[in-house]
Order: sequence, then C-alpha cells, then structure tokens
Amino acid sequence: MKKHLKVILLLIFVTFLHTINTYANEDASVSGIYYDEIYDPIEPINRAVLNFNFFIDDIAIRPIVKTYKFIAPEPVEKGVSNFFSNLKEPIRTISFIFQGEFSKSFNSLGRFTINSFTSLGTFDVASRLGMEKNETDLGITLAKGGVSSGPYIVIPIIGPSNLRDFSGDVIEYFVDPISNNVPNREYIAIGSGLNERVEIDEQLDKVREASSDRYEMIKSIYYQNINAQLEEEYIQNLPVPKIYIE
Amino acid sequence: MKIFLIIFSIIFSFSTIQASEVSEWFEKESNQFLEIINNNEGTESENYEKYKDFVNKNFAVKSIAYGLIGESIINKSSKNELTIYLNVFTDYLITTIYKLANSSTSSSITLRDVDVKDNIYIIKSEIIDKKTSANLYWKVIDTGSSFKIIDVIVENTSYFVTKKSEFNKILRKNRGSLEALIKEIQKI
Repeated sequence: MKKHLKVILLLIFVTFLHTINTYANEDASVSGIYYDEIYDPIEPINRAVLNFNFFIDDIAIRPIVKTYKFIAPEPVEKGVSNFFSNLKEPIRTISFIFQGEFSKSFNSLGRFTINSFTSLGTFDVASRLGMEKNETDLGITLAKGGVSSGPYIVIPIIGPSNLRDFSGDVIEYFVDPISNNVPNREYIAIGSGLNERVEIDEQLDKVREASSDRYEMIKSIYYQNINAQLEEEYIQNLPVPKIYIE
Repeated sequence: MKIFLIIFSIIFSFSTIQASEVSEWFEKESNQFLEIINNNEGTESENYEKYKDFVNKNFAVKSIAYGLIGESIINKSSKNELTIYLNVFTDYLITTIYKLANSSTSSSITLRDVDVKDNIYIIKSEIIDKKTSANLYWKVIDTGSSFKIIDVIVENTSYFVTKKSEFNKILRKNRGSLEALIKEIQKI
C-alpha cells in the first residue's frame, strides 16, 4: 500500500506540473534562458520567507556553520562533503537513466560503488580514476522531459527553488534508494542540508555585502545555475552588453 | 578549391594570431591583478586606487553600465543623468571588485582555453587559492586599441546577468527612473 501511495503521489505531481506548464506565464522553451522576467507571482511572500530564512540563518545556522568551519580541519570538511555527495549518486544514477544519459548513469553508479567500498564515500577515489562527478537531480530530469519551471518559490529554511525543482526534491525523497533504506533518514537530511549550507557559506557572505537587492541576486544566481545544467553552450549563450564606444 | 583553401588558411591564421594576442594580454593583466590582491602593504585608499586603475584600464565600464540599464532608459535620460550614472556605476564596480578581492587571497589564475563567438573572446581560466579552485570565465572584446572585459563569470554566475536582474528590478519598481537607480547604487 505504501508503495502504491508513492506511485500515486508521483503521478499527481507530474500531472500537476504539466498543468502548470500549460498556464505558466513564461516562454515555452524549456531550456531557454530567462533572466529579465523570471516568473515570480508570489514575490511578496517569497521576500518575506527569504527574510525569515536570513533571520534563522543569522541566529542559528550561521553560528553553527562558522564554528564548524573554524574547528574542522580542511580534510574533515572535504570528507564530510564527499560523504553527503556520495549518498546522492544513486539518485543521480536514476535521474540520468530517465534523461537517457546511460553512460553518465553508469558513471554515477560506478562512482558510488568505488567511493563507498574504498572509503564510505569520504574520499573521491573515483575522480582520481577518471570518473568525474556529473551533477543532476530529478528537477533537471523533469526540465529535460519538457516540464516548465513554474513559479519561483522560496521555501522556509531550505531556500530558493521553483515548483518543478521542489517537486523533483519531493519525488526524490520518496524514491531515493539510500534515504529509503536507512534508519533515521531525517538525520541524513539535516546533515546533508547543513553540509550544503557550509559549501555556500562564502558565497552567502558575499551576497550579504555586495548586493543592492539580495532577493533578486539569489533568484538570478539560482536560475543561472539551473540553466547551466540545461544548456549545452551556456557560457557562450549568456547575454552580454550591447557594445558601446568606450 | 585552391582559392577556398587559401581563404580558409588566411582566416584560420588570423584568428590564431588574435587568440594568442588575447592570451598574452590576459596573462599580463591577470598577473597584475594577483599582485594587487596579494599586496598587503599600503593604506586602504592606496590599494583602492590600484583597483580603480585596473578597472578603468581593463573593463569596458561604459558598455557594461549602459548594457545594464538598456536602450529605452538610455534614450529617455538626459546626458547629465547618464554621466552621473556612469560615474556612480564606475565607483560601484570598483567597490564591488575591491570588496570581493579583499576577502580572498588568490594564489594563481591559470589560463585554460580561449574561444571566440560573435567577436567576443571567451577566456576560460581557473582561480586557485589555498582551499579551493573555481572556474572563471572572462568575456572580452577587442576595441582596436586594447582588449576590454565586458563580463566575468564565476562558475556559472555571470556578473552582468546578475546585476542586470537587480537593476531591472529597481528600474521597474521606480517606473524606469534612472535617478532612483543611482540613489540605490549609492547606498552600497
């Protein structure tokens, strides 16, 4: 029954996303680059949630992250980061299968096997053997399958997302072979979230001091990173200033 | 067929010379940039002046500034407003680079590749400091007398694209008022 429920939930999400795709007020191109007008119909709510997230970050998460970065030696920090990244390889394997990228899927599976058996994932031995990490997730899979991003949303505590990517995250939670088969999966989720926060700590500090509108800056950076995974020639196709005589 | 081969080899050798010229320029300027970053001597204002010289020499500031607000705002603004905006933006760009560079100690910038698209050079480099490394792309134009940077992309984040969304938002919120944008920029 539990398994059926997961399938039903998955179907509901995909159907919902296709409905959103039909009505979303944005360009029909899936992998096209939208920067000037990102679909953001609930901006006031998003801004309030972002302020709340920064508040929580300031009083609780940031001090933990700063203390951890101060105490943990660099190899430990790297090892922890590798450990959590390795746990995502099975879902990357599945995502690449759905994207039809079978060699990348095989690469992810191989990376998981090698890194888990040699060091429980704390060392990236596979990269040294030439098996480089390829980033992907179910949100990207949905995008490549033709699902539009839907509205931009800021999720409490978690941060920037959009309806498609958030749905991808929810589906991942149900189908991820790792988190579904370990006890206390909540601890892994919290650990993984904190690790992701550690990884963007320096960038977040820069956003705090170098932005005229941090909400817009974070939104733009989020979409640029998504588009980089969807576009083949992303860097070449980024908009540039029209050339004026200097 | 012969003519085609000759034309092809001329074009190919010309673009190779240009790519080597831009690589040479990049090596020289990136080394100078690293010198400025790693130089801890001198007062804050002296260091700021060095950044200012570097930005004015190597960035297509006017192209970036005008590109960020777009043609419609340029057309409806007075010459005086545009001059003020350009000055304020130049200070803003220098301050941003100064702040970002000051918080990191980079030990090397390595040139990886040079690509050309629509007369814009895309220089791929890698910036490495004590802890991490990151891909750094520079979009550069040839103005005839020198090369000028029009965008810097750290990993996947473009300076131009990010600032354009920020500036667009401010302009939309203030019904296209350049004066309001100038005030917002000055706050930082």
